[in-house]
Amino acid sequence: MYQKVWVTLIAFFVTAGLPELVNTAQAKGISDLGPGCGLGKDLWRDSPNTDKWGVQILISTTNNTIVPFQAFGITSQTMGCKNSGKFWAEHKANMFASLNFDNLSQEMAQGGGEHLASMATLMGVSEDKQPEFFSMTQERYLSFVNAGEASPVAMVKALNEAAASYPPSTTVASK
Amino acid sequence: MRPRHRIRHQPPSRPNNNTVRCRVAPAAKRAPRLSSVVARRVLPLALLLALFPWAAGATERSDPSYADELIAQAGSAKLFEEREWHLLLHYKPMLFGGFTSEQDDPGFFLSSAGKTDPRAELEATLRQFFSAEAVGRSKQPAQCAFIARYRWLKEKLAFNAARLPPETCARFDEWLAELNSQSITLIFASAFVNNPASSFGHTFLRVDQKGQTDQTRILAYTINYAAEVPRDAGWMYPIKGLFGGFKGYYMTPPYYLKVREYRDIENRDIWEYRLNFSERQVTRLLEHAWEMGNAYFDYFFLKENCSYQLLWLLEYADPSLHLTDSFYLWTVPADTVRLIAADPGRVANVTYRPSRSNVVRRKRESLPPDQRALAQRVASDPSAMTDAAFARLSTAQQAFLLDLASDYLRYRMDTTDKALPELKDRNQEILAARSRLRIPSPDFPVTPFATQPELGHKTSRASVGGGWRNNDTFEELSVRAGYHDLLDPEPGYTPDAQIELASVTARYYNRAEQARIERVTLANIVSLSPIDSVFHSPSWKFDLGMNTIKYNGCQLCSNGVLGGGIGGALESKWLRREVFFAFAEVEANYSAAYDDRYRAGGGGTAGLLADLTDRWKIMASGSYFKFPLGDKSDDVRWFVGQRVTLSQNVALRLEYRHRDYDNDVVLSVQGFF
Repeated sequence: MYQKVWVTLIAFFVTAGLPELVNTAQAKGISDLGPGCGLGKDLWRDSPNTDKWGVQILISTTNNTIVPFQAFGITSQTMGCKNSGKFWAEHKANMFASLNFDNLSQEMAQGGGEHLASMATLMGVSEDKQPEFFSMTQERYLSFVNAGEASPVAMVKALNEAAASYPPSTTVASK
Repeated sequence: MRPRHRIRHQPPSRPNNNTVRCRVAPAAKRAPRLSSVVARRVLPLALLLALFPWAAGATERSDPSYADELIAQAGSAKLFEEREWHLLLHYKPMLFGGFTSEQDDPGFFLSSAGKTDPRAELEATLRQFFSAEAVGRSKQPAQCAFIARYRWLKEKLAFNAARLPPETCARFDEWLAELNSQSITLIFASAFVNNPASSFGHTFLRVDQKGQTDQTRILAYTINYAAEVPRDAGWMYPIKGLFGGFKGYYMTPPYYLKVREYRDIENRDIWEYRLNFSERQVTRLLEHAWEMGNAYFDYFFLKENCSYQLLWLLEYADPSLHLTDSFYLWTVPADTVRLIAADPGRVANVTYRPSRSNVVRRKRESLPPDQRALAQRVASDPSAMTDAAFARLSTAQQAFLLDLASDYLRYRMDTTDKALPELKDRNQEILAARSRLRIPSPDFPVTPFATQPELGHKTSRASVGGGWRNNDTFEELSVRAGYHDLLDPEPGYTPDAQIELASVTARYYNRAEQARIERVTLANIVSLSPIDSVFHSPSWKFDLGMNTIKYNGCQLCSNGVLGGGIGGALESKWLRREVFFAFAEVEANYSAAYDDRYRAGGGGTAGLLADLTDRWKIMASGSYFKFPLGDKSDDVRWFVGQRVTLSQNVALRLEYRHRDYDNDVVLSVQGFF
C-alpha cells in the first residue's frame, strides 16, 4: 500500500508534476518568500535538495504515513496563497487528486461518491451539474484512470477538459 | 522589554519520524543544517527583511505612556486573574498556590517569568502590542502572533486605536479565509488494539466550511494535536512518550488525509460530533489555535496528549465549558468525547463513518450466501464475471457485487505493506467492468459493530465483592485504572478487545484472618479477531502481573506472571453472537512456592465468549500448561465468568476460577468512574 502511494506521489511530484508545476509557479510569479503561500512556496522551490515539501511527503509516505508533519503546521502557512488564488485552487485540486487517486478511481467507476464530489467542487463544478459530471467520469473511466496512472495532474487536466465540454460547468481554468 | 532579534528563518530542526496515532503524528524530515542553507535561503531573505525594518527589530510606537495606562487599568480590573487569561496561557493552579502554564515553549511567553506569573505575562503582552517586532515561532508582530490575547484584551480594555494602532495581520486573515469556518466537529477515531499507540482512540477537530455538504466535508481542514517522534526513537519511544520527551504541535491537515489514514489504512471507525458553537465562539477557537501554532508542548502520552490539548481550544471558545479540570493523571480520548457529549445541547448531531473492513463485513452480511461466494470468486479471479451465475443477476446486483469485490481488494491492498500488483490489476479489471454498468451505486448504510463511545462505560473501574476460596471466605476490593475487559459492558468499545492496565485487588480472608494484595495487573491485553473467508488476522494476548496461588503446601502465595499467546477466533450467531477462541501460549511464573522459585513453560487455552442477552454475557475457558523449566509441573485451569449490566456504569459479575488445587468464586458489583 505505502509502495503504491509512494509511486503515485513520485509520479506526481517528480516524473510529471514537479518540473511542470515549477514552471507554472515561475510563470505565475510565485517567488514570494514571505508568508501567505507556504505550501506552494516549499513545494515548487526548484532546489534539488530533499527539503521540498513534495519530497517530505514522499519520505513520510515511505515511512508508514501519508501526512507530512511540517507541511500542515498552523503557522507554517500551508494554506492560502496571497499571490494568486487561482494558482492555489489549481494546486488544491492537484494535491487532492494525487493523495486520493485510489478513492477517486473507484468512485469514478461507481458513478459517484464523496471524493468525486469533492474533486468536482475543487474543480468548480456546481452542485447541480455534479450528477452529470459523475456519469461522465463513469463513461470515460478508462481514459481518466489511464491519464491518472501517468500522473494525477494529467488526470485533473483531462477531467477539466472533459468537464469543459459539458457546458455550462465551470472549471478551474475558467475561474 | 527583552529584545527578540533571533529570527529563525528555518523552522526548528525536525528529525525524520514515525507516525504514532494519538501520541504522534508524522513529521517532516530534518531541515538542512543552517550553514547549508544560509547562502541560498537566508541571505536573500535577510536582505528582503532588511527593507522592512519593522520585521527585523523592535520599533517602539509612539505614546509609550499609553502602555503604562493600560497596564494600570488591567491591574485594577485584575484581568490577570480572569479565567479567560488563564485559558489563553494554559495556566493551571499549583498544589501550594500560584500558577504554572502547561505550555513549554519559551517563545510562547512574552515575559521571562510568563510560565508561572500570569500578571507579568499580561503586562509584557500589553507592552509588546506596542511593538511590531516579530515574536513567537511564527515570527509576527505580537498583535498577530497572539491574536486571541490581543482581541480579548482589546475588548476588555477598550484599546484606543489612535494611541495603540492595530496591526494588519494578513497571514492570519488569509489563514482564516482559507479555513472558511462555519462550525466545529469533534472527530473520534476509534481504538485500534493491534497498535499499542492507538489502543485508546484518537480525537481531533474538524473546521467545517461554509457551504460544505455531506459529500464535501472531507475537504475541510482539521486541527490535530500530535507529537513529533523521530524515526529512530527505537526503544526509547515508550519511555519518552510517557515522560514528555517528545514535542507536541497543533497542525491543520485536510480531513481527507485523516480519513485515508484512519478509515482506509488502519481500518478504524470514525465518529463525527458536530458541536454547537456560535460564530464568535468558532472564531475564538481558531484565534487560539493560531496562537498555539506558535509553540510546542511537551507531549505526555498519558495525560497531556492529543485529546487533552484540544480541550483548551474548546474551553477558550466557550469559557463556560470546564473540560481540562476533569483530568488528573490521564486523558483517554473516549472520556473527552463522553465529557463533551454530556454537555447539554452541545452536540448537534453524530455521524458514523465506518472503516473499510466494516463496510465489507456489512455488505457481505446483506447478501445471500451464493452471492457472497460469487463476490469472493470475482475478487480472487475477475473472469468469474463471465459466469452464468453473475450474468443472471440484475444490473444493480452486479454493481453491488463488483463494488464489494473492489472494496475487499482495496482493503487487502491498503492493509498490507507489500506491494501486491496482482490485487491492483484485479481491482482495475473489476472497476473497468463496474464503469460499464452505467448506474450510480446507491448509499449503503452501515450499522456500526461498536456503538458510539459516549454510550460506553467510563474508563476506570472499582468493584466490591465477596466469595469463597477453598475452605475460606473473603471480601474483596478492586480498582482498575483502565480500560475494558472482555466481560465488561460492550457498548462504545471495540468488540472482542481487552486492555486492562494498572489494576489492584485486595482481599481479606476471614478464616485465615489475613489481608493481602490478591492480584495486580500491570497489563493484560487480549485481541480476538474472528476469522472468516475474508478476514484472517490472528488473535493474540499478553499478560504481565501478579496473582495468588495455592501450591506446594503454601496456601496463599504471591506469584508473578508473564505470558503471551497467539491464536485464532471464530464467530457464530447461534444465540446472539458467540466468539470461540484458541491460543498457543508461553508463560513464566516467579514465586517462593516453586522449587528454584520459578517455572516456565507453555500450553494452550480454548474458550468461548457469548452474548446471552443485551445485558448478560458469559465467558468460559479451559487451559492446560506444562512447565518443563524450573519447578517442573503442570497446571489445569478453568474459568467461567458472567456479567449482567445494571446501567451504563454499573455491572454485576460472578466468576469462578479453578487451577489444580485451587477453587475461587467471587461475586462483585462493579462501578465505572
